[in-house]
Amino acid sequence: MGPSGSGKSTMLHCAAGLERVTSGEVRIAGQDITRASDTELTRLRRTDVGFVFQSFNLIESLSAEQNVAMPLRLAGRRPGRRQVREVLASVGLADRARHRPRELSGGQQQRVAIARAMVTRPSVLFADEPTGALDSRSARSVLGMLRSMVDASGQTIVMVTHDPAVAASADRVLFLHDGRLVDRLDRPTIRQVAERLARWEE
Amino acid sequence: MLGMSLRTFRDRWPVFAGAVVTVCLGVALVQSSLLNLVSAATARIPPGLPAAEALALRSGYEAGISLLGISLGLSTFVAIFIVGTTFAFTVAQRRRDLALLRLTGASRGQVRRLLVGEALLLGTVGCLLGILLGLPTMRVQAGMLVHFGFVPTGFGPQWRSWIIAVSAGTGIGIAVLGVLVASRRASRVRPLEALRESDRIARVMTASRWILGMLFLAGGIAMVILIAALGGEAALALSVFVSMMLVVAFTALAPLVVRLASWPLGILARGPLGGLAHANLRHGVRRSASTAAPVMLLVAFVAGTAGTLDTLGKATRQEVTRTLRADLIVTTDRPVRGQLAAVDGVATVSEEVPVTFEVGSDDGEGHLEYGVVDGLAVDPVAYASTHDVGPGNLTALRGDSVAVSPSYAPELRLRVGDPLPVRLDGRTRDLRIAVLLPDTLAGPYFLLPPDLMPDSGPRRYAVRLFEGVDVSSVAARLARVGEVVTVDEWIDRNADDQQHTNLDVMTVLLGMAMLYAVIAMVNAVVIAASDRRREYATARVTGLTRGQVVASALGEASAVVATGLLLGGLAAAGTVLGIAVAVEKMVGIAVVSPQWSLLAALTAGAFVVVGVTNVLTTLATTRTPAIRLIGTWE
Repeated sequence: MGPSGSGKSTMLHCAAGLERVTSGEVRIAGQDITRASDTELTRLRRTDVGFVFQSFNLIESLSAEQNVAMPLRLAGRRPGRRQVREVLASVGLADRARHRPRELSGGQQQRVAIARAMVTRPSVLFADEPTGALDSRSARSVLGMLRSMVDASGQTIVMVTHDPAVAASADRVLFLHDGRLVDRLDRPTIRQVAERLARWEE
Repeated sequence: MLGMSLRTFRDRWPVFAGAVVTVCLGVALVQSSLLNLVSAATARIPPGLPAAEALALRSGYEAGISLLGISLGLSTFVAIFIVGTTFAFTVAQRRRDLALLRLTGASRGQVRRLLVGEALLLGTVGCLLGILLGLPTMRVQAGMLVHFGFVPTGFGPQWRSWIIAVSAGTGIGIAVLGVLVASRRASRVRPLEALRESDRIARVMTASRWILGMLFLAGGIAMVILIAALGGEAALALSVFVSMMLVVAFTALAPLVVRLASWPLGILARGPLGGLAHANLRHGVRRSASTAAPVMLLVAFVAGTAGTLDTLGKATRQEVTRTLRADLIVTTDRPVRGQLAAVDGVATVSEEVPVTFEVGSDDGEGHLEYGVVDGLAVDPVAYASTHDVGPGNLTALRGDSVAVSPSYAPELRLRVGDPLPVRLDGRTRDLRIAVLLPDTLAGPYFLLPPDLMPDSGPRRYAVRLFEGVDVSSVAARLARVGEVVTVDEWIDRNADDQQHTNLDVMTVLLGMAMLYAVIAMVNAVVIAASDRRREYATARVTGLTRGQVVASALGEASAVVATGLLLGGLAAAGTVLGIAVAVEKMVGIAVVSPQWSLLAALTAGAFVVVGVTNVLTTLATTRTPAIRLIGTWE
């Protein structure tokens, strides 16, 4: 977490292999991807990492179900309808499978995006301000869902946010300032996060 | 991936409908030209026809065939150009979609397969429609050819079943090729671009655009130089290639020029609207270049061809004025040489009888191939005193001989003394080349000796009077024998005829292809507007009224049209310049015929077509209340 312009998103993009780093090295699930080729990165996106962004980035022409199935189909697998429905049900959208993104609310679209990211059972889920575009109720339900994925199935999630309330739901919070890691907190409260943030803003 | 193709197809239909239309029209046009060409080439001369009539019929078909050949080449080029640019444009329009796919794990190969799958689908649909549309198109084209007299009456194009394979092959082939080129670049789209729309404007001028543009520009310039060096009939055919090469070069380099053209707009356009139009023009260079392409095509070919034909016409007229040394021209349907010569005041009478015969040339395999040509049978002495025939001594034109201008076929390098195989009055024989005539645009290319002059039939006489004789009184006396005109009137009349023929040639050659280009113009505007819903919505929530959005879009479109006009004008100028240099080299007459009124008409037409389409599509794109589009991200 950190103030805007602190390099949160850039850091996330580098960690996820979307951006190349000029120095240092990047490892995901024990795999060095610093100089990975495009083919390797594509394979990585299919198996080891999932993405969720502030904008939902769903493919408009496809239904919720088809959007979720897309990563598996791109990987050459034929996902069964049940498998896809299960993932959608796990984000509470079992009854919205045939809707197009345009027909869903913001919170529902974001949950479809999470389902799409989770369908490949990635080692890491990268989330960039996943609740940034949502009202507080939807935000809370999305956040609760992410938390339960960690607690129930041990899913690793790397999330970027500038909202102390969101950050406080994490096990560990790292603070960025002007592109550098400057601080960390384990299992913090909202107040602790807000205070730390305020200190670095001064 | 085909399922995916089908679904995107359903969703982005304006873009794909545009692509299907271009394939359909392209296939129809090429198929129609090809069927007409094949039908003309295989047209049977009915047996038992008198030799002279059969020859006239063959001559008519041969003229039609060469026109149809150019027409086919032009149609094919225009179809490849328009389908290729349209498909490349549709791919570029979907950059964000493709980046999104990459983000969810699509490999480069998968993106390419998706695009090629789409092209196959669109190509197939377009081809099926095109093959059907090709039937009425063929009849219309044949009707035009007969109507303007480029093929003999009674010409009817025939359907051939193999054309289905050709049309399907070309249509689908062009669509897939167009996409293959574009997909190479599209598949390299980085997943991150789905998140950052700004990356999209980066580097429109790619290395391949530079290379392609420079290569074709160099090719075009080399062709102009080649035309100037070659001269002759070959040069005239080459000029079409100059237009083609320059069109391709300017299309590749268009993004550069759009940026240049946005300059005056930035200075001219005042206020926030002008500023927005200017910014959008520079932002959407790729889009602007794609809309400018068909405008450029239209102007390059119409102005280029009109300029070429008119330059040739003017040069021909000047050449005749310079070489003809007679006072009156008499035309009759029978020989009247003696009667004319007996009239008071007449100094010289040159009898000139048109003869249609065939000239054989080696087909490369040791066989002679005969082509129909027109010549004049003349009396050498009288002809030489009424026409400038250059340094050659025409008195050698006796017996089985012929005088030839090298302009007929510069590549044969004909020399005095060479035999020229001909078929005359149904008899095959060799004529000895007695004299080489100077290069000529106006013709005749062949002069035959009096021994080969037909004893009856229509002919004309160039009459020279004694110095100081009253021309009109002699003309009145000659009028009892045949139709008399002064040389000036005769030249005027020929020039008028030529102009009519030129207009007919333009209509037959370019009519359909240019209609196609106009539809492509509309198409490009519609496709370009298809991904601007959000952009317009953003502009509206920023505080612009719907009318202001339309006005700003119109301003942007006008600048794009201006770019197309400018580039097309340049390509046309290059072509006409090439011809002018060739003509100067051939007959020493320097004329250039810039088509100002035609250019003005094209300018007005392009502005109206693009302007109206643009206003309509912008209105349609802004119909949904802005806030509904801004609210959801997708």
